Amino acid sequence: MAVNWLRKFASRSAATVFPVLGRQGEAALHRLALTPGIELVDSPRHASVLLVAGEIPADRFEPLRRVHDQLPHPFAVLWFRSEPWPHLEDVTRIDALDALPEALIAAHRELLLGRRDSASRILPDEPPNPWEGLGDFGQGGEGMMGGVPYGRPMAMNMMDDVRDGLTLDSLSFRLGPFYPGLPPGMAAEITLQGDLVQMWSTQLAPYPRALDPVFFAARERPVPIAELELARAHHHLRRLFSALRLAGLEGASLSALRLARELSPGSRLDGLRRRLVRSGFFRLSSLAGGALEAEQARQLGGPAARAAGLDDDLRSQDDGYRRLGFAPVTQSAGDTRARWQQLLAEIEQSLQLARRAERDKACTERMDSIETPRGPWLEQLPQDGSSLLDELMPGLEWGDALATVASLDVAAAERSLGEAPA
Amino acid sequence: MELVALLLILLIGLGAGLLIQWLPMRHQPMPTWPQRAPFLGGGTPDSHAWSRYHVRYYPMTLLLIAFEMEMMFMYPWAVVFVEKGMMAMMEMGMFLAILSVGIVYAWREGVFKWQ
Repeated sequence: MAVNWLRKFASRSAATVFPVLGRQGEAALHRLALTPGIELVDSPRHASVLLVAGEIPADRFEPLRRVHDQLPHPFAVLWFRSEPWPHLEDVTRIDALDALPEALIAAHRELLLGRRDSASRILPDEPPNPWEGLGDFGQGGEGMMGGVPYGRPMAMNMMDDVRDGLTLDSLSFRLGPFYPGLPPGMAAEITLQGDLVQMWSTQLAPYPRALDPVFFAARERPVPIAELELARAHHHLRRLFSALRLAGLEGASLSALRLARELSPGSRLDGLRRRLVRSGFFRLSSLAGGALEAEQARQLGGPAARAAGLDDDLRSQDDGYRRLGFAPVTQSAGDTRARWQQLLAEIEQSLQLARRAERDKACTERMDSIETPRGPWLEQLPQDGSSLLDELMPGLEWGDALATVASLDVAAAERSLGEAPA
Repeated sequence: MELVALLLILLIGLGAGLLIQWLPMRHQPMPTWPQRAPFLGGGTPDSHAWSRYHVRYYPMTLLLIAFEMEMMFMYPWAVVFVEKGMMAMMEMGMFLAILSVGIVYAWREGVFKWQ
């Protein structure tokens, strides 16, 4: 009896969803973040529903199997715009974004009320490296540190410290491609010494990020600048959302997303900027790292380059923009903090340009060179720049490293697969 | 008698606590092996998570202990302060002076700067 009541209460709680992002699966994430009754969690341990959003490339199947089996029993799996694996029984596939929130909440409710069976595990229930039970402490070898318990060696101090000479055990692991702190789809092999990144090698590049269709239209014909600038602000606001979520500023991240959803030339950034200043976002000590050198900044292009003091912006070559009085804004420091200040300044500038362009009915004039929110598009779309992290990350503390990754838009740009994101 | 009562309360409390934990756990199987692995977003670790690393707040904890010892000395001092008068005042002054030399030294060494 009591258990039934508990089940009922539990089923009314927010549905805890761990999103596993496939290609262009972020639209679902942005929609769910603003849906009441759904809580996006950062680890499968806290989730009752696993959401596979977007097509998962075949080289990420093995990691997906591991994440799939890390949800506690009972759990449900929903595939959104993604083909479920044929050997799975009783799977739900959803293609309509509007139907997704209800489906997730229903799955959570049915699971907790016992009306739905838990999804079955994929991996065999056996230790990845069996216990070997040798040695004084069962560590599977001689001496205190000589063994390989469970077949994995003990962390040993193999490398010199890069910070202050205090050598610590180095810890090597592969992170991603479904780690919420990295760009979707990105995986890296990392060696930490204490909290310091010793080595970083990007193994899988992040999925290309979808650009708004208006940027592709601008390559073919003149388009209204107001529309182009709103799409740019929209892109930047969604990036700001991920970074604020990573910084633990959930409320501010949601207001960035809300602003992106209701963006119009009349939108104002002041409220969000005030909120960020008050929450202490710009004073976070982890924003001090990740300074780009001029060459790295040029290679990456876009807002990251302008945050490092380069005033390269293809918009200044367009007569339509020139008539609106456009001049690129820049910062000088080139670090993570400068990049966020640059991004806020660019959002503000885009909104101003959109207001002026709407008043003057201004259109773009050049079609061979477009400044996308990711960077310049001359002959080809901005390419993946995740290999830059390999040289940028070593020497940063873990928090600074994640803040740096969030502030750099390293993913390549591509055409949107389906409809334009809401 | 009181001791027996206390012991009984302790035993009943402990028993009830363990019972409440055990009841829902009865039919729960252990989490599976893949579930017990550390969450790395689909990645795998190379070595055990049991690694020695430097907790960087260590010097700060030492300073905290220095302040704590100061407070421990101050309580009995406050009790005899009225009786001893100026002499107690001087003694405490000397003690605090020695302690603050340590704090000034630590400050110079950058202990308060979070790494």
